[in-house]
Amino acid sequence: MSKGLRDRASLTRRTLLKAGGAAAGAAALGGCLSSSEDGEDQVSGEVLTAFGNCWMCSHNCGQKAYVREDSSGKKTVVNLTGVDGHPRGSAGEGTEGTLCPKGLGQLDKTHDPKRIQEPHIRKNGELQKVEWEEAFQYTAERLATFKEENGSETFLDATSWAETSIFSTVWRELYGTPERISRGIHVCAGPTFVSGGMMGVGSNNRVPDYQNSEYIIAWGRNQLNSFAGQFEAKGTLEAIEKNGATLVTIDPQHTITAEKSDKWLPIKPRTDGALALAMANVIIEEDRYDEDFVENYTHGFDAYAEAAADMPPERAADITGLDAEDIRKVARGFAEAAPQAGISVWTGTAQVGNGWKATQNITALNGLVGNIDRPGGLRLWKYASTASFGEVCEQDYTNRAEFKEPAINKYDEYSDYPVRHITGIAHNLVPEMVENGHINGIVVHHDDPLKDGNADAWVEALDAMDLVLSIDAYWNGVSRNADIVLPEATQLEKDTLGTGNWSAYPKHTWVTGSKAAVDPQWNTKPDFDILVGIADAMAEETGNDDWTVFEQWDTHEDFIDDELSAIDLTLEDIDSGEVNYELVDEFEYESWEGDDHYTFNFDLDQVPPFAQAAEEADMDTAPEWIPPGTYGDELSEDYPLEFYDVRSVFFSHASNQPQERLRDQFAKRNELADEDYRGNYLHINPEDADKRGISSGDMVTVESETGSGELMAVVSERARPGFVTAEYGFGETSATPDGEGMNTMTLHHKQMDPITGQVDRHIAVEVTSSGGD
Amino acid sequence: MAADTDHWVFYFDPNRCIGCHACTVSCKQYHGRGSDADDWRTVTHHEEGTYPDVNDVPISMSCMHCHDAPCEKVCPTNAIEKRESDGIVTIDREKCIGCKYCGWACPFGAPTYGDEGLMSKCNMCLGQGPGAGADADSTAKHKQDGQAAVQPNCVSDCVGGAIKAGPQSEVIREASEAAANRFKSDNGRVIVEPFAEGSAAVDSTGSSDIITPFNAGD
Ligand code: SF4
Ligand code: SF4
Ligand code: SF4
Ligand code: SF4
Repeated sequence: MSKGLRDRASLTRRTLLKAGGAAAGAAALGGCLSSSEDGEDQVSGEVLTAFGNCWMCSHNCGQKAYVREDSSGKKTVVNLTGVDGHPRGSAGEGTEGTLCPKGLGQLDKTHDPKRIQEPHIRKNGELQKVEWEEAFQYTAERLATFKEENGSETFLDATSWAETSIFSTVWRELYGTPERISRGIHVCAGPTFVSGGMMGVGSNNRVPDYQNSEYIIAWGRNQLNSFAGQFEAKGTLEAIEKNGATLVTIDPQHTITAEKSDKWLPIKPRTDGALALAMANVIIEEDRYDEDFVENYTHGFDAYAEAAADMPPERAADITGLDAEDIRKVARGFAEAAPQAGISVWTGTAQVGNGWKATQNITALNGLVGNIDRPGGLRLWKYASTASFGEVCEQDYTNRAEFKEPAINKYDEYSDYPVRHITGIAHNLVPEMVENGHINGIVVHHDDPLKDGNADAWVEALDAMDLVLSIDAYWNGVSRNADIVLPEATQLEKDTLGTGNWSAYPKHTWVTGSKAAVDPQWNTKPDFDILVGIADAMAEETGNDDWTVFEQWDTHEDFIDDELSAIDLTLEDIDSGEVNYELVDEFEYESWEGDDHYTFNFDLDQVPPFAQAAEEADMDTAPEWIPPGTYGDELSEDYPLEFYDVRSVFFSHASNQPQERLRDQFAKRNELADEDYRGNYLHINPEDADKRGISSGDMVTVESETGSGELMAVVSERARPGFVTAEYGFGETSATPDGEGMNTMTLHHKQMDPITGQVDRHIAVEVTSSGGD
Repeated sequence: MAADTDHWVFYFDPNRCIGCHACTVSCKQYHGRGSDADDWRTVTHHEEGTYPDVNDVPISMSCMHCHDAPCEKVCPTNAIEKRESDGIVTIDREKCIGCKYCGWACPFGAPTYGDEGLMSKCNMCLGQGPGAGADADSTAKHKQDGQAAVQPNCVSDCVGGAIKAGPQSEVIREASEAAANRFKSDNGRVIVEPFAEGSAAVDSTGSSDIITPFNAGD
């Protein structure tokens, strides 16, 4: 063969050998490489297109997948791109859809040989490969025994978001456990979601109507670089370009969103509650609020106004480290632009001990300026109403969890935790509940609770449990230590359905869906098939007919079609056109107008469970200022630095940390690609680094009162003096096989927001150079 | 021979680049380049200032397929070719001797040598191979797939909508006057939008203090 061809062939072969996962991409190179003499590069074949919708961060951006089919019928994904006009992946009608780097990582993930390829069960202490039939049967036996010995109510459902809604049916209604932790309120942004619900704007109080906004506040959010649906970044850029919108970022750390902002308020960590009250102070004092809305649609204004009066900008300036005039300026700008003024808020102000009040105070600003459900403000987003499981299920069955009380409510041991009135369980308390014998087993799906708080205690707890069932695509802290490991197919290998709400279409409900683009790789199964397999085995094991409830659907697609029947669509309809989404219904703004029952609550005194929890936590029901350290860590001489863990644009919930291309870009972004190290980085300001003799690329030890870990330092002026951060999801217990980096939550013990139990990720630490190179 | 105005060029708007690296990942995946192979499209972050007066400007770069292609001029073996049909600059790796002259001549540091010591770089998503020279499929990606112009992969996956590509005459129509003028006075290499007034990048310490590959020679 010619040298040119040999070059390409060897590149292909090398790539194939080296990255394994990169084999897919290598095929894209090919086209007609089948002429190679040794026949190793047979990558010819037809390229087909298929759809997907991305669940890497669970927000469903539309995917177009290019799939090559070889002569044996084997399909390989060779390229992945966005879907134009997609509600989550584009800026709306007629605009290009894309995939963010985490989403693009799905291509590598699909064919990644590091995935769990076979079902495993633990025999004589070792995880051993078995056939699916044996795995299901064994699972059923173990579940039945567990129920006999411990009671099914002590089995913790820790299944994360899924492309199917039958997870809760299996564990809650059929197996009968009332115990559930998930992402969302338990480990993401409890205060944001729960306060939004109680105050009257729902848990979507985090996503404003970007495109129509004239003033956007990114409050503890980096929406230009931490996508939850890329329309967020695109919508923000569009508002700036088309409406000349002002962008303000409130963040202790300098981020790309701060970079693009008209104003960056480099706030002292954990003082957001004071800033929000000071803004209210200015808006009320200067009569810039929406009197009509406040008068007619809100409750508790007097208590709110009183708290705000206590926080003039000068006092807030002392607390927040900001300039009083800047606070006035932003308050005025926000009120002037209102109601076309939106606040984007999510985890940043929530993963804090005093996060409840921070979020309540921030959310209150929306009621104050009356931007509720108005263009460019806070939208009361609506879902497309597909049919629920109950509606499509033709069988009657007993909900076995219905009258079971979660242990945290039932037993005196937990009477000191106000959270028991609100969320039924707290992530941080699980180890204690295991010790008390109230939790004895766990099922984890596509998640790793060992990196979400109280890590060391969780590791021990997992070890102490009688039954650990893991449904996952990667070996991580849970799957490696499980009794049963059921290998899950990844998103492009299964049928998916997303039902929307917030998006680039502020006036439309929508659905997006796709059929599997390729077959399940190796011996894996889509989660739906796994759950049905377990249910069938349980029917046999227990003789109870309730478990046959899934027999009415032959396939996941049938089930999805039943769900879609409520809006007169099928998966085929959604998947077979030019795009893979449908706009379903239109809904108007100002849904509260003329509704006498609509109330925006500044004060939550009329929400009894909250009032009770607040009383026990020694907190007011109305907005107020609660200083850092009241519920979480205080800095001290021994631990003088404040640590907080952050996300990176390359990774989503530790599910794509194993992707080499992404980890390499992550190292490049931190300008440390030349080092072999591919873990997370401790970002530290030069001032703090110099004092400790630390330079970029040094390994450092981070220590809190209860734990420590080692990772590589990045010394940067983007880091706030006195405040250090690192990306989460790495190190011990993670899916990164070589274990580089640090599980940030080994620093954590039980700090939490007392109301929602949300993990408080602000931790007092000291950082020292680990020595060596 | 096609006129310059029909030749493909890149456009970059630093105001819309959010430094997410999707373009790099997308390029790598499409061309099957392993994680440790050099990036043909690279995102760099230019940080300066002292907290809190910090700027961190992301810049996404690849080979710009320059009209004047300085790399082509210095190549001793004539391995580099600026295609007459569409202006795409290719490398014939059978002729490349890995002398790195092109790397020195290129104002953007686009050529890389990780692939067996031979030059490789962005080929504007031409069908095959690291350089897509010699016996490469002469149909560029943007002309495949039927009628519609398909964009190079990094362009169609750019989250911020910061990169465009196309025949000069088309792309320049969508650019600001300032960008077009600079393009003309800069030997026709790449169309780059100036930083918008009022962005933090200009507000505090001023973007002109930040040296990026695009203003290094200004
Ligand atoms: S934002 Fe990124 S990771 Fe999340 S769904 Fe969209 S493409 Fe996937
Ligand atoms: S960018 Fe560099 S490599 Fe590309 S054409 Fe110009 S000089 Fe040549
Ligand atoms: S045009 Fe194609 S080859 Fe060039 S940087 Fe973009 S994706 Fe890579
Ligand atoms: S994909 Fe676009 S926005 Fe993201 S880094 Fe590349 S050029 Fe910038």
